Amino acid sequence: MAMNRHLRAICVVLLLAGACLAFQRRGRLPFLDDDDLPEPYPTDAAEKTEWVFARLRYNSYRQGAGMWGVRGSWSTDYPKAERHFAQGIRRLSRVHVRSVEEVVDLDTDKIFDYPWIYGVEVGHWDLTDSQAAKLREYLNRGGFLMVDDFHGTIEWEIFMRSMSRVFPDRPVVDIPNKDAIFHMLFDLEDRIQIPGIVMFYTGNTYEQDGMKEKWGGIYDEKGRIVVAMCHNMDLGDAWEHADMPQYPERYTSMAYRIGLNYIIYSMTH
Amino acid sequence: MFESLFLYPYRLFTKGEFLFASGWPVWLLVFVSLALVAAVGYLVFKQHGDNLKGRRWIAIAALQGVVLCLVLFMLWRPALRVTALKPQQNVIAVVVDDSRSMLLKQEDLSRIESAKQLLTGGLLDKMKSRFQVRVYRAGENLERIQTLDAVTGNQNTTHLGGSMKQMMEESASLPIGAVVLLSDGSDNSGGMEAETLGEIRRRRIPIHTVGFGAEKLSKDIEVIDLDVPLRALSDSRIGAAVTFRHYGYKGQKAKIGLMADDKIVSSREVALGEDGTPQTETLLFNAGLAGARNVKASVVKLPDEENASNNAQTRLINVESLKPRILYVEGEPKWDFKFIRRALEGDRNLQLTTMLRTTQNKIYRQGVEDPKELEQGFPVKEEDLFKFSGLMIGGIEASWFTPQQQAMIKNFADRRGGGVMFLAGRGALSDGGWAASSVAEMIPVSLTDRKGTFHRDPATAELTEAGRDSLIVRIEEDPKRNEDRWKKLPFMANYQETGPAKPGATVLVDALPTSKGRHPLLVTQRYGRGRSVVFASSGTWRWQMSQDVKDLSHELFWQQGLRWLVTETPPQISAAPSKQLLLDDGNVEFRADVRDKAYNPVSAATVEARILGPGGVSAMLTLTPDANQAGIFTSKWDAPKAGSYIVEVLAKNGKEEMGRDVFTMIRQDGVAESFHAEQNRQLLEGLSRQTGGNYYTPATAKSLPDDIAYSEAGITTRETKELWNMPALLMALFGAKAAEWLLRRRWGAV
Repeated sequence: MAMNRHLRAICVVLLLAGACLAFQRRGRLPFLDDDDLPEPYPTDAAEKTEWVFARLRYNSYRQGAGMWGVRGSWSTDYPKAERHFAQGIRRLSRVHVRSVEEVVDLDTDKIFDYPWIYGVEVGHWDLTDSQAAKLREYLNRGGFLMVDDFHGTIEWEIFMRSMSRVFPDRPVVDIPNKDAIFHMLFDLEDRIQIPGIVMFYTGNTYEQDGMKEKWGGIYDEKGRIVVAMCHNMDLGDAWEHADMPQYPERYTSMAYRIGLNYIIYSMTH
Repeated sequence: MFESLFLYPYRLFTKGEFLFASGWPVWLLVFVSLALVAAVGYLVFKQHGDNLKGRRWIAIAALQGVVLCLVLFMLWRPALRVTALKPQQNVIAVVVDDSRSMLLKQEDLSRIESAKQLLTGGLLDKMKSRFQVRVYRAGENLERIQTLDAVTGNQNTTHLGGSMKQMMEESASLPIGAVVLLSDGSDNSGGMEAETLGEIRRRRIPIHTVGFGAEKLSKDIEVIDLDVPLRALSDSRIGAAVTFRHYGYKGQKAKIGLMADDKIVSSREVALGEDGTPQTETLLFNAGLAGARNVKASVVKLPDEENASNNAQTRLINVESLKPRILYVEGEPKWDFKFIRRALEGDRNLQLTTMLRTTQNKIYRQGVEDPKELEQGFPVKEEDLFKFSGLMIGGIEASWFTPQQQAMIKNFADRRGGGVMFLAGRGALSDGGWAASSVAEMIPVSLTDRKGTFHRDPATAELTEAGRDSLIVRIEEDPKRNEDRWKKLPFMANYQETGPAKPGATVLVDALPTSKGRHPLLVTQRYGRGRSVVFASSGTWRWQMSQDVKDLSHELFWQQGLRWLVTETPPQISAAPSKQLLLDDGNVEFRADVRDKAYNPVSAATVEARILGPGGVSAMLTLTPDANQAGIFTSKWDAPKAGSYIVEVLAKNGKEEMGRDVFTMIRQDGVAESFHAEQNRQLLEGLSRQTGGNYYTPATAKSLPDDIAYSEAGITTRETKELWNMPALLMALFGAKAAEWLLRRRWGAV
């Protein structure tokens, strides 16, 4: 009798697990199956160049302070996004770009060798006081931070918890259309929200409650943008999936243009 | 001693003409002497040739011959013929230096007091006993005085040349036999004019000088020179090179201070080096707001210093509110581009306009005056390019410029007088094909056709010897601290190999790659009216990113380097005085260089100068074209009063104003007298030597009245002084005979 009860319970658990698995397989679109396959390592990866895509490695809010995620949120889209984007920069501009990225963090001084850094999913970051101070010093010396792929009210608040310790006295503002950053290489007065691949699941170009894209920025005392925020957008996905036929070209094209404008702005202002 | 042996003073022998008073021919003296010597020789040989060993007979014969020749010489009556002043018929002009430097004391007695003491101690009376004596005092002018009480040392200047000239003019009808000048030789007018000297020589008037004052002060420090630019940009950092020397304070410390408009702007304590050796210290200060700035460098008085009035010098700087523009053309986005722009954002006096090639066909412009400026790319007309004062060419290939544009780049420095800087990069210098371009000749380093000279490898920067002295690379005021700071700079992100610096170019900084080797990093040179410079790296951004945000090394380096690039770039109309500091003499020449918008010289212009000076001095004058130099206009003027002057030069072409320039100058009276206060013996000796007079010290001046007597000026008579009875001749005669006698006794040939 007891044996039968156990068997029935096991069967129920197996059935539920099978149903969940079946549901999950149905939810994942078939064209995404090969998405994370590694690409061949560029043969010119060792080339010394003027500009390098420097990805900021940070400790995530949910990981607890002091622990780097092995593949935490900082590494989202890594390394495909930057390698695709690097090819685009080479093709579209005269910036001398390395084909592969560099990962930097705020616990060493290596970051000062890379005056442009990219932080992804910063709605999950959690900077310590010393890391916030280093980022402030980095930006004050002339560094530039682009943050991307964070969505909705909750992630914004988490982002600001750390950012407000970097610059307690500098507000985040919406970058006006007339600002030079939108007119560097491309005139980008008519920008669109750039969605991540989550749109293929939800059918929406936004995530969570972040329906409206935000082109935020922090200016220094001389009126130069030092932090540029792409909130409620995912340019990283647009770069990463640039070679995916299903990902709309208009989003990738806009993401490349935004990224290039930000890079050239950071090299001129 | 000389006189007791030769009867007369040495000076008489230098002035007199030698002759034989007997009137017998000289050839006869020679003939008889030779005949007697031969006869004596024969007789001595015949008498003693056998009994004297070896050739001893020759010594005996020679001594006998000398005796006979001396006797013959005396028989011919040697004499000196000299021209001498007739007693009481000639005037001796005694000129006493009455300038303030004569008040300097030595052993409790001023130079003037020493001079008076010498004159009243018998010298004047002795001269009066034989001549008519007129006493003068010399300062700015020459003035006859009745008593020595009128000599007080209250005159601000000494114009010895002018005084002598005045003397010649006023005494043209007087029988001046000689001039006696009592002075310390401290002359403010630069010596005597050739015309005056020629007149003195023509009249054969000897000037005898008596020098007063120590030739080297025992305890003194003197500011010899203060070198500051004539003009500077407002709020810019200026270097004031203070040159000084001292006597008697070796190894001690002295404090140098710099004041601008009576406010202390910089000071430094320095260790004093060797006695009498000029030392130069450069003090940096901020030029401040636009306007004329009075800059004074001084050394704090040291203990027991003999002359403290030579411890300071003053200059005037015209601080201009210009904002020179620099055009920076860059071939590709790079970090140094951004950080150079940022460095200059902190500089209110430079305006950086940039052209950045972001794609093959897109130029991103920043700092343009209007949206149309440079819209079509790099200027194609000289007047568009020459609006800028400086030009920076980054990593962009030579072929990007047309041959005409390349010619314009050369003319930018050569004719326009601007500064051109070449930077490093993938498309720069040799890698950019500049070696084969026509611009290569203006680049201060040799370039090769080899590619791959740009390396993205770390390199440190090290000052060269010239760099240690240069203000261009002075990011710390103190030279030693500056050198240390350069050593501590983080490495640069890259460097570019070049050939060696060209002759005439100066390497200020070397790049030392961490791998190995040494390459010129910062090289400067003059090119035509302008200057060119190479900075063979585009990796200085690490100086900013790798150092604390409060560290200003990167900003200061670029601000100073680029200010140097443009500070001397002349405007269309540039004017300057022949000397900015007028010491006791207001004569000055104004010179204006007039150019059109393409900086070609313009001679068909009207050029006027408007002068404002102290005490309401105001003047207008027209500058006239120089027949030998196109575009050059000059005019002479005399600044009437001591003080600061501001001169505005305006050039017009018909009614159209071509441009204007402003410069300042300063006249100081009575200041120069305090400098070079030691006795200028060289000047006094030279004056005497060139006029046939003698130089004396107060101690040797006793013989002056006797020496004066022998002069070819004034009313003279010719005297013959017999020399046959000179004690020296008689002593030689007896000496030779005594020597012969002694030798004979010794050798047994009596």
